[in-house]
Amino acid sequence: MFKLESINKKEALRYLGYGNSIPDNKILSIVDDCEKQLLNVIQPKFLYNIFNITVNSDCVKLNDTTLILRGKDIVNHLENCSMVVVMCCTLSFGVDRIIRQYQISDMARAVICDSLSSAAIEQVCDYIEQEIKQKYPNMYQTFRYSAGYGDLSIDIQKNILDLLQAQKKIGLCTNESSILTPKKSVTAFIGLSQTQIKQKSRGCQSCNLNGTCKFRKRGEHCGI
Amino acid sequence: MEFKELLKSKEFVFLDGAMGTMLQKAGMKSGSIPEELNITNPEMIIQIHRKYINAGSDIIYANTFGANRYKLEESQYSASELISAGISNARKAAFGSNTLIALDIGPIGQLLEPTGSLSFDEAYDIYKEQVIAGKNADLVVFETMTDLYELKSAVLAAKENTDLPIICTMTFEESGRTFTGCSVSAMVLTLEGLGIDAIGVNCSLGPDELYSIVEEISKWTSLPIVVKANAGLPDPNSNIYNITPVAFAESIKKMQPLGLKIVGGCCGTTPKFISTLVETLSYDKYIKPNIKKLTAVCSSTNTCIINRPRIIGERINPTGKKLFKEALLKEDINYILNQAIEQVRGGADILDVNVGLPGIDERNMMIKAVKAIQGVVDVPLQLDSTIPSVLESALRYYNGLPIVNSVNAEEESLESVLPLVKKYGACVIGLTLDKKGIPHRAEDRVKLAEKIMKRAVSIGIPKENIIIDCLTLTASAEQEGVMETLKALKMVKEELGLKTVLGVSNISFGLPNRELVNHIFLTMALSYGLDLMIINPNIEAMTGAVKAFNLLSNIDKNSTEYIAYYNGHKTDIKQTENLDKNDNLLYAIENGLKEQGARITSELLKTTEVMSIINDMLIPALDKIGEQYEKGKIFLPQLILSAGVAQSCFEVIKKKLSSENTQGVSKGKIILATVKNDVHDIGKNIVKVILENYGYDVIDLGKNVDYQVVVDTAIKHNVKLVGLSALMTTTLVSMEETIKLLRANNVDCKIMVGGAVLTPDYAKKIGADYYSKDAKVSVDIAREVFGN
Repeated sequence: MFKLESINKKEALRYLGYGNSIPDNKILSIVDDCEKQLLNVIQPKFLYNIFNITVNSDCVKLNDTTLILRGKDIVNHLENCSMVVVMCCTLSFGVDRIIRQYQISDMARAVICDSLSSAAIEQVCDYIEQEIKQKYPNMYQTFRYSAGYGDLSIDIQKNILDLLQAQKKIGLCTNESSILTPKKSVTAFIGLSQTQIKQKSRGCQSCNLNGTCKFRKRGEHCGI
Repeated sequence: MEFKELLKSKEFVFLDGAMGTMLQKAGMKSGSIPEELNITNPEMIIQIHRKYINAGSDIIYANTFGANRYKLEESQYSASELISAGISNARKAAFGSNTLIALDIGPIGQLLEPTGSLSFDEAYDIYKEQVIAGKNADLVVFETMTDLYELKSAVLAAKENTDLPIICTMTFEESGRTFTGCSVSAMVLTLEGLGIDAIGVNCSLGPDELYSIVEEISKWTSLPIVVKANAGLPDPNSNIYNITPVAFAESIKKMQPLGLKIVGGCCGTTPKFISTLVETLSYDKYIKPNIKKLTAVCSSTNTCIINRPRIIGERINPTGKKLFKEALLKEDINYILNQAIEQVRGGADILDVNVGLPGIDERNMMIKAVKAIQGVVDVPLQLDSTIPSVLESALRYYNGLPIVNSVNAEEESLESVLPLVKKYGACVIGLTLDKKGIPHRAEDRVKLAEKIMKRAVSIGIPKENIIIDCLTLTASAEQEGVMETLKALKMVKEELGLKTVLGVSNISFGLPNRELVNHIFLTMALSYGLDLMIINPNIEAMTGAVKAFNLLSNIDKNSTEYIAYYNGHKTDIKQTENLDKNDNLLYAIENGLKEQGARITSELLKTTEVMSIINDMLIPALDKIGEQYEKGKIFLPQLILSAGVAQSCFEVIKKKLSSENTQGVSKGKIILATVKNDVHDIGKNIVKVILENYGYDVIDLGKNVDYQVVVDTAIKHNVKLVGLSALMTTTLVSMEETIKLLRANNVDCKIMVGGAVLTPDYAKKIGADYYSKDAKVSVDIAREVFGN
């Protein structure tokens, strides 16, 4: 497992609504302080496994498993792919506790820690993608696609975790509403293909801010 | 044969190896439910059991690990069906042998509150169902556990519904912690307290990596130690485990001096591993660990050994505190949590929790408080109540080994409190008083202490878990009693060998300069050998006295802690803020200066009407900030920082009003709740801060809130505005259900909803009155609803 040395603060500030604006020194020093605290408790853990797949017109089957991904969007996403990486990762329980504590004693810090840890889990995801790239240098990769995007039901969260034995191996669970716990966690599918993949834009749906984005609410785009 | 006989009759007890590994070898698909095979292919399971029995297993685990209601949601079989089939397969396999059958139970697969949304009681029910279904087994095994709280619910379910012996093994990382941060010491203290029969580790690591964890276990327990290690570590690509049966057995053998008693294999092990293990250990003897039991308390992540002066924070107690009482009446749990966080920052090692107040449901409040406090701070708790049923509930929902405050030498108290202390394995404070009151003479107090000790020991409470309070008398009323208390304290330590505790602050009641008297009394008591002091840790002179005492008595070696604390301690934050020239509320709010805001407010209160401060200064300042936020000139963190300042101003105002017995400044009561099954509450909490800033009284029901609780609270407090939050598409359903129930009960209130995935249309569709796009809008809505 790898250790996170620093958190992408620029990304965290973007989640906080700072487009190209730069926060004042007071905020920046709180951000630095929160980063330090988070780095002390973040224990990035991840798992992934690679499966051969059969892409049908309405679903994708992961061979030799019981998992079937249904929906036209995932079919579209994995078209021309022969394999899929099923991955999951978490920053572990300590982050939840810090955010819980700050929600009582200092809400501004709670919000900042929340954004920083969202940025941190993205970094863990990026690291996994890189590792896969090194393992399969000759394969093209799709971007990360998660349950809940498009018409891929979020209800399969539990099946994804079971498939990877995520609870046993990294302590990652989901609840009855398919919310991942600890909260700063991700599951995703990355398609692997021998042929070049049409670069589909990552777009807003795969962004952490999906739903809460101030830019989107104003009908604008953050530019990323 | 029974488990206990088995332990006596053999040097080592052999368990089986992996079930999952064998099933995969036999071609089971990943992602399928292994327990279904108990019914769909019993022969396959029986064959595997037989192989382990032939390899020398004295106990086999039935194939029931994941057979719980939650994991089987998609299965056509129920937990009970799969468990009874599992046990019966194991019985068939064991026919003709002496092999015992264990009902094998793993984690539910969902995290408990507060990180997850499963409650302690729900977890208990799930385990209860499993335990009852498997009552024909010879013992119960809880394994691969990572959450001590979940495991506690499981052990209670087993203890309260069967008489079977219980083995618990948790899964640790190399750091010596589980995924939820549970330490070895916390595991042993808590579970041994609950009265299980054997304890240890399984899974996650190979025997070499587990050595240090087993070593740590052996320092803490006298129970038989269980090790079920993996066959080394898996190759990340092939998932094949990397050590041979011989290497495995040799590594396990190294743990024999640590007190290893019960041994088997986990992932990657096969019958060959077990037979090799049996052979390798055949000439070795079991060595029972010889440990000296310590007085220690713990949460699941923090163990506090009472081997030096420890501070118990006294602030969570409504006695004589008006704001605290108000908070209890309003069920304002955050008030209590703030007290908890502050005291831990002040230096408390343990927190006393007392929520007793006439007119409230103390039992319910205690449960809420214990659950909430252990979710935000990790110090152990001291559960404080005069009512045994309140103590029992607190003990049940506490995650770790707490202190019970208290029992006394009266028969009635001994009879009602001590059995609870025994059942839950807690420490207990014994007060040296009885029907006749507090004896004057030290000798007589020691007699009462002895009486309590003897009674506790006679029902199986270890002597180390008894802490005696010789009782501080008020110096102004009973001056000659002060030294008697200290004398008694010393005698209790020397003659009975028990730990001691004193509530310190009582000494100075009725005297001027109480802090000085408290401080000196504490120092005196420390030199008489006081172990635990119940004080206000936020008072520097008190915690400082303990620090200095530790230094002077050579406990704090090389003065390391003392120097680290005082060199790094900032005492002048207030002064720097005070130097700011722009000494007005708007400036303080705009710049996030909390201390300054509070100070200016208390200055203003001397000359200005409360309502004028609120309406003419605070709210315009907030409006200005809100406007800048809407225009994108400032961002969320600044908005909240400013809100934090306003909040501290309001606190000053509240204190003043409360001291004058004036009515509050509430502009209206609002309920806020993150709906059932949703655990993302940060958005709701932002809304709360902002609404409170504008003078609204927010009843915060927290997250994962039952529909009915929202309805009941709205009716009980006659609330006119209810705010509901949901982050996920999957929890919008709960939002809709909550609204339906409010309407069905004809609750006369408006409903506003918000959250990431909501849209104005959807809000309308599910019957909400308002869609609140952000915290600022919620204020506009509140203004409209309350007309202010």
